Amino acid sequence: MHGKLLAIYNDALRIRAFEKAIGVMADAGHVPGLVHLCLGAEVLQATVCNALDSKTDHVNGSHRSHGIALASGASPFKVAAEILGREDGLSSGLGGTQHLFAPEQGMASNGIVGAQVPLAAGAALTAKTLGTHGIAVCFFGDAAANQGAVLETMNLAAVLSLPLLFILENNGYGLSTSSSYASAGVNLTERAKAFGLESISLPSNTITDQIEQIHIAINTVRTESRPLFLEAPIPRLTGHYHGDAGNFAGDTDTVPDPLLLLREFLDAQNIDTASVKEQSSTEMDEVAGRALRSQAPSPQILDTWRSILGATE
Amino acid sequence: MTTLSVKQALNQALHQLMAADDTVIVVGEDIVGGAGSGSAEELGGAFGVTSGLAARFGTARVIDTPISETAFVGMGIGAAATGLKPIIEVMFCDFMGVCFDQIMNQAAKMRFLSADQIQLPLVIRTSMGAGDSSGAMHSQSLHGLLASIAGLRVVCPSNAADAAGLLKSALSDPNPVVLLEHKGLYDLETDIDPALPAVPIGQGKILIEGAAVTLVTVSAMVHHAVKAAKQLEKDGITVEVIDARSISPLDSDLITKSVAKTGRLLVVDEGAAFGGFADMVIAEVAQKAFPHLKAAPRKITPPHTPVPYAPSLEQNWLPSTPDIIQGVKDLLNA
Ligand SMILES: Cc1ncc(C[n+]2csc(CCOP(=O)(O)OP(=O)(O)O)c2C)c(N)n1
Ligand SMILES: [Mg+2]
Repeated sequence: MHGKLLAIYNDALRIRAFEKAIGVMADAGHVPGLVHLCLGAEVLQATVCNALDSKTDHVNGSHRSHGIALASGASPFKVAAEILGREDGLSSGLGGTQHLFAPEQGMASNGIVGAQVPLAAGAALTAKTLGTHGIAVCFFGDAAANQGAVLETMNLAAVLSLPLLFILENNGYGLSTSSSYASAGVNLTERAKAFGLESISLPSNTITDQIEQIHIAINTVRTESRPLFLEAPIPRLTGHYHGDAGNFAGDTDTVPDPLLLLREFLDAQNIDTASVKEQSSTEMDEVAGRALRSQAPSPQILDTWRSILGATE
Repeated sequence: MTTLSVKQALNQALHQLMAADDTVIVVGEDIVGGAGSGSAEELGGAFGVTSGLAARFGTARVIDTPISETAFVGMGIGAAATGLKPIIEVMFCDFMGVCFDQIMNQAAKMRFLSADQIQLPLVIRTSMGAGDSSGAMHSQSLHGLLASIAGLRVVCPSNAADAAGLLKSALSDPNPVVLLEHKGLYDLETDIDPALPAVPIGQGKILIEGAAVTLVTVSAMVHHAVKAAKQLEKDGITVEVIDARSISPLDSDLITKSVAKTGRLLVVDEGAAFGGFADMVIAEVAQKAFPHLKAAPRKITPPHTPVPYAPSLEQNWLPSTPDIIQGVKDLLNA
């Protein structure tokens, strides 16, 4: 178990180091648009993706999915190059930070709030129909939970008994709006229960319990081929996007940083965490530097796409 | 005269409209901002257009919504049908994909299906346009798509006076009106009449008179077209630049009269390369001004692909001032 925890810690640290490096790149003006960093969600994303098999499983995320891409095994260099809009990016710079596609790792993200959720149901349907024993996972935010597409998919997945794990990353906010204002009803886990989904709200203070419950959930979805809903508390360690005034950031007192909790746990077991920390920042600084040296995509790529998609000619 | 940006002019027009009529409400995501956060600070929308409205008119009339476009756009339509005058903000026009049934089937058809028993004093404000590496789902220009739906009015201001003036006309129009505000223009300042007079829907405007070519354009591309026309004038080529302003209804009279004079048409648009605004204008002119044409009409649009993210690609994708200059010269040589 400790080996597994250290692996999760390592993956989560690498995500944090990656996001920090992207933040530095953004501050230096190298990231062309706005980026939404996933600080605070690293342990969740690493735990889930660590337990998936990229040959059979699929994972879809929101606009805040750099960490999911990395945890799924996509090359950090390619993800960074995509965020910087370079030709070595996952999609040669066509997609950008919100539209990450790594099909070999079974991973994709989305710029439309909630849109990834029905797509994940499709991946679950494929797995079920082809009998691959694969599952699909979708990550979405507390604000996305109010999209019709998300609510419809919860019902659909329950009706069709799809092997789909819904993961609600609850950081308490959608952009500047608190979920206490935007979401009616007791809480979002209770809402999911109303669809007949087994629904679990992860504890925010005991990180090992959190990790164990995620493992059990993934196993249940796989072995019983049915949907399940997990709500994870996520501290909002930055504003909505990197560099926003952050005036509407959340309250970290109620939700501690999971990465810190995991390190404290490992430290208490006398497991060395200092060296992996050092390695992850060295790795990601190097990755970001290399991505920065990648070329801008050739303008020819637009001609190619025009002939592929063109409606005339 | 006063100097206002597009954003400021829209904001002041919203203040005036809300002050003048208690049935005007403003609805959208984060348009007040910070709801439930305990912070007294207002965000005023993703682009700041609605700032100060909640402080003045209260959150019963300036309403932040959950991320539920289908529900709040539909609510706006239903409220318009029953006595309110809603101004609904859809943060990016790309998000209309989420609530397209409400726009296409509900808003657009209600007046017709009720045989005019119901009119919709409804405005949907939204942003459009590329140029800031927001990627393919936050950068589209969907005015042509919307204009193809009977029952919708569609307008695209290129400056502060038109933005405020069209917003005013939109709210008193019996049809639902979509007002598309280009993201790249929000901070563009011009000298305008502080009264922000209404600008009629359906009227284009000749910005520069010319004899050689009629150049029809809209929204942010207007500014590239004007620059191109000024450059061409130095080479002795005079271009008549028309800001269409209204996509539907289109001021085809103004356009065909101009083409009758110049004999040549170039349409410059950031929207679709196929079946978009440019094609609509060309079809109108081909049908109504064919005998006057000295050459086949042409268009300059982005290629028929989604908007690319990388800044270098996005700049290539967008029509530029040099593209327009070349396009005019090519048309004259055709
Ligand atoms: C359909 C749609 N509506 C609005 C937006 C603009 N937007 C992007 S992220 C976001 C907030 C999403 O909040 P949440 O789902 O809680 O995810 P978080 O950002 O907190 O991770 C909004 C409103 C969008 N991209 N798509
Ligand atoms: Mg959130």
